[in-house]
Amino acid sequence: MKTVKEKTVLFLLAFSAAILLLAFVAITLFIGVRGLSAINFRMITTSIRKGGIFEPIIGTLYLLAGTIAIATPLGLATAIYLAEYAPKGKINRIIVQALNNLAGVPSIIFGLFGYAFFCRFLGLGISLLSGWLTLTCMTLPIIVRGSQEALKMVPKDFRVAAEALGTPKWKTIKDIVLPTATPGLATSIILGISRVAGETAAILFTCSVFLTKSLPTSPLHPVMVLTYHLYTLLVASPGTSMDRAFAIALILLGLVILLNLLAYLIRMRYRRRWKW
Amino acid sequence: MRLKCPKFLCFKDKAESFSFILASISIIILFLIIVFVLNEGIPAFIELGFSNFLFGHRWSPYYGDFGAFPLLYGSILIVLGSLAISVPLGVFTAIFLAEYSPRWLSNILKPVIELLAAVPSIIYGFFGFMFLAPKIMEFLDVSMGKVALTASIILSMMTVPTIVSISSEVIASVPKEYRKASLALGATKWQTIKSMVLPAAKPGVIASLLLAFGRAIGETVAVLMVCGCVPQIPSPPWNYLEPVHTLTAAIALDMGEVSWGSLHYHVLFGLGAILLVITFIVNMIADFFIKKAPRGVQI
Amino acid sequence: MEVVGVKPKMEVKNLNVWYGANHVLKDISMKIPEKRVTAIIGPSGCGKSTFLMTLNRLIDLVNGARVKGKILLDGKNIFNPGIDLTKLRKKVGMVFQKPNPLPKSIYENIAYGPKVHGVKDRKTLDSIVEKCLRVVGLWDDVKDRLQDSAFELSVGQQQRLCIARTLAVKPEVLLMDEPCSALDPTTTRKIEELIQTLKNNYTVVVVTHNMQQANRISNYTAFLYLGRLIEYGPTQEIFTKPKNKLTKDYINGKFG
Repeated sequence: MKTVKEKTVLFLLAFSAAILLLAFVAITLFIGVRGLSAINFRMITTSIRKGGIFEPIIGTLYLLAGTIAIATPLGLATAIYLAEYAPKGKINRIIVQALNNLAGVPSIIFGLFGYAFFCRFLGLGISLLSGWLTLTCMTLPIIVRGSQEALKMVPKDFRVAAEALGTPKWKTIKDIVLPTATPGLATSIILGISRVAGETAAILFTCSVFLTKSLPTSPLHPVMVLTYHLYTLLVASPGTSMDRAFAIALILLGLVILLNLLAYLIRMRYRRRWKW
Repeated sequence: MRLKCPKFLCFKDKAESFSFILASISIIILFLIIVFVLNEGIPAFIELGFSNFLFGHRWSPYYGDFGAFPLLYGSILIVLGSLAISVPLGVFTAIFLAEYSPRWLSNILKPVIELLAAVPSIIYGFFGFMFLAPKIMEFLDVSMGKVALTASIILSMMTVPTIVSISSEVIASVPKEYRKASLALGATKWQTIKSMVLPAAKPGVIASLLLAFGRAIGETVAVLMVCGCVPQIPSPPWNYLEPVHTLTAAIALDMGEVSWGSLHYHVLFGLGAILLVITFIVNMIADFFIKKAPRGVQI
Repeated sequence: MEVVGVKPKMEVKNLNVWYGANHVLKDISMKIPEKRVTAIIGPSGCGKSTFLMTLNRLIDLVNGARVKGKILLDGKNIFNPGIDLTKLRKKVGMVFQKPNPLPKSIYENIAYGPKVHGVKDRKTLDSIVEKCLRVVGLWDDVKDRLQDSAFELSVGQQQRLCIARTLAVKPEVLLMDEPCSALDPTTTRKIEELIQTLKNNYTVVVVTHNMQQANRISNYTAFLYLGRLIEYGPTQEIFTKPKNKLTKDYINGKFG
């Protein structure tokens, strides 16, 4: 009978969706429960040498800050060029194709490239700077894609009105297009940060080490990073320092969830506000 | 003085030329990646011989054996395993989201799927290592939990969001008129989906599967932590309850310990080159299918 | 409003439809005679398409639509909870305003309906496809290219294809929502002729905003205004001796 089949199908489909929800809940609970019991203020503020995770936290922040500082203007400029100056045509297609290919490159390849090019060829060594540059290459497609979308959504009418008043194009972009597109741009940057914060493979041999004397004082120093620290704890010495491991995992997961929720909320809120 | 310039290089003002220069950095980066990885990897192919390297059956770098075949096999084995899980799961969920799910449920599901996609691979690896592997060891009564099956399950968790988000968009963008026509002819909802919506959405769904494949085969950290890292071809070859090793895990594990310029070093870049070629081909095929998908789909 | 002498195929009783808070159809009652062409006329936005959609319960698909009242098909109320919608829509077929061929070949477009209802034999499908294409006058044009995409046909041919597709499931009632509004005058005339032949075997209900068309092709006409059935009767009477002032004004072009 037809309705029985329809109901079975619906059940099967809903069940699949439920499995995904379950997977997410499982990961969050697994890390959240043990992580919350392991983490405390002392651990965050104590040095590694004394069982805390202070330096990796700061190191991660340094890494994030530098990467975003470089990748954002670069990505924004690229997106502006693609969306405003050359929205169609050969050059546009070539750049977009290059970005699509970059997006598909596995992160370990970025690690290999970063080492061979930034660390060795340019002589920067295993350093914060190498990490910044490698991660910039990796995040660029994310930022450009999101920014391009945001710029495209700014209605043509705004630009036409400004240009009809005699505003030069760059000023139109600076004063009208960019401010209007800010929520979308912010979203893409947030997503870029989220990607960088959780990255391990690309920094494995380009910028991070397990133990350094102190916090890096110059970009040419290597740095301790949360993801690499967790990686080493698990791969090199499983079983010990599980508390620290769970605490790091909690911080990373929490950070990523918060950032993505923030991006999601911004998108939803502004989509409703600007109903054009 | 007006210089003659080719059409696409004639910029109206400094802002445009400035942003063009920055934009072309993307092309330069891609170019550099290809050049450097190939440059460091080709010596390995030359010294070992192309087929010895690619099809050699022994991977014991510390004894001078650089046969990459077990790594290639391991990578493909776990990726196919992950697709076996993520494809039905992902496509069904995508159909559910696009056709059946009430709004309140979609508003929960969609963010959750985006979050699943955003979770860093080290967290997945952590979860697999600390939770899944012991459970598999327990429930399937094997001597160790870090086996191909575990890697496949973790990979499927990581790639399902790709399939769901692209497929559900493609399915939802099949025009309403077709559905109305089908229902007016007396078809049931599922008949409409099966005989009309899905075939129309096929190119986009296939693209999503290819992209999932591409992402899975390039995954490093999560796989490293749960696959067992034993460079062997399981016996029998489809035995998922044995540990394997992959291209990505091999690169990550060994890279920290090789000396620069040694054969082992070049071999790792050679593995990277193989990986790069595979991902490029897969992405190109996916691109081809995306172009056939109804309407413009964002990846 | 009574229609004397002909058996009603469908009977609408006190039909009310709301889109959210908007009362779109107000208390409509009428009998639709069997094997005749009934035209529904009225100015834009007065509920004609909505009315048509209730007759095959396609209204169920509209978000926020509420229906009260009864519609009898061969004596049975189609809004009864136990009604099998797929059987209903097989019996009551619909042709839409804009031709909407399925994204398949010409052959597959027509075979789709029968397949959905269980016809599997290739030879049967072949004969159904040929028969339906002949009825709508397309067979000679397309018999050599049945595997081509339906989108390669002209708009007029596509609409005829859609009619053929609806006929393939052997309906008893044909609902047509402004079937010619997207077509040029020549094709329109061809389809009007087709409708005339169809009425020998099917009960046809045509929504049209073209009064001359209604006059040309229908046996009975219903005039809808702002969701109400103002007047209903044999087409000749409606157009030459309308009883209601509103009807008279509409027919004389005073509004709409």
